[in-house]
Amino acid sequence: MNTKLTLTLIGISLLACNFLFPPPQRLAPESADFQDPQPTGFTIVRLHPKDGDLQTMLASKAQEATALGQIPVVEFDATWCPPCQAIDKAIKANNDLMLSAYRDTYIIKLDVDEWGWGDSRKHDFQFEGIPVYFKLDPEGKQTGEVIDGGAWGEDIPENIAPVMDAFFHGE
Amino acid sequence: MATKSRRGLPPFLKVMLITAALVSCTSAPRETISLASFTENYVDVSIFLEHDSRGNCLLSATFTPPDGYHLYSKDIPVTGIEGLGKPTLFELAANSQITVIGELMESVKAQEPGFEPKELLVYPSGPVTLSLLIELPSGDGWIEEEIQVTYMACSGKQCKPPVVARRVLVTIPCEDTFSEE
Repeated sequence: MNTKLTLTLIGISLLACNFLFPPPQRLAPESADFQDPQPTGFTIVRLHPKDGDLQTMLASKAQEATALGQIPVVEFDATWCPPCQAIDKAIKANNDLMLSAYRDTYIIKLDVDEWGWGDSRKHDFQFEGIPVYFKLDPEGKQTGEVIDGGAWGEDIPENIAPVMDAFFHGE
Repeated sequence: MATKSRRGLPPFLKVMLITAALVSCTSAPRETISLASFTENYVDVSIFLEHDSRGNCLLSATFTPPDGYHLYSKDIPVTGIEGLGKPTLFELAANSQITVIGELMESVKAQEPGFEPKELLVYPSGPVTLSLLIELPSGDGWIEEEIQVTYMACSGKQCKPPVVARRVLVTIPCEDTFSEE
C-alpha cells in the first residue's frame, strides 16, 4: 500500500510541477530589438545611428554572435518596404520554414531611412534594393557574401526560406 | 459562253481605301511638348504638356519603373497603407500660375496586389502616366513652374528607394504660345 501511495504522490507532484513550472515556449521575436537567442535559435537586433559608429557596433555585435555560435548578418530594410515586412511577418508568425532558415543567425537590422543608401559617411555597404543581407566575419567586416530579394521568387516563405537557408548556412 | 469581266476595284484596293478612310476619321496626333525627363532611383520620369483629341490641355508625367517592378496607386495615402508603400504623385506647387481643372488621371487602373494588405493598390508592371487637366496662363511667352513627383518602385520581392516630393523645375508655355507651337 505504501508503494502505491508513494507512486501516486510522485505522479501528482510531477503534474503539479508541470503546472507550476511550464516548459519555455518557442517564441519568435516580438520586435526588431528583441534579443534572446535561446527560444528561437537566432537573434535579431536593430542598430540606430544615435547609438554610435556603425563599424564599432558591428564589430561588437559580430563578436557577440560568434560567442553565441551564430552567424552575424546585416540586413537593410525599411518600414515602408512590403517585401521586408513580409519576411518579418513570417518570422513573427513562427513560420517553421523561416525559423529553420534563420537558425543560428544573428541578424543586425539597419533601417535605410536612418542609415541611407550607399551613404559613405555612414557605411560602406553597396546595394540597389531592399531587403538585402550581408554576411559578416567575426570582426564585423563584410565577407563579400550578399543576397537580396532578387534571389528568390514571390515573397512567400516557401520561396524565401530555402534560398536564405542556403545563404546563411552554405548548404 | 463568254464570261463577263467583273468591273470595280480589286479587293485589296478596297481594303486599303476603307482603312485609309477609317484612319482619317480618327483624331490627329497629339501635340506634345517635352518639359523634363530624368531617371532617379531606377525609375524614368518624363514630364510633358499636350493637347488631347478634344483640345484640352494636359500636363502629364510618365513613370517607367524597371522591368518586373510596379508603382503604387496615386490614391493610397502619402504614409502608405499600414505604413507600407508610397503613392505615385504628380503635383503643382501651391503658388502655381497654372489652374488645375480636374482630378489627377491615371493611364492604367491600379489593382489589388497579390500580397497583404490588399488595400495597397499597385499599378501593373510597366509605365504609368498621370495627367492633370489644366488651363495655362493666358498670353504669350513662357513661365517657370515647379512640379513635385513622388513614387517608389517595388517588385514582389524587393524595393528601390522611394522618391518623395522631388521638385522639378520646368518652363511651360502660356496659352497663346502653346497654341502656336
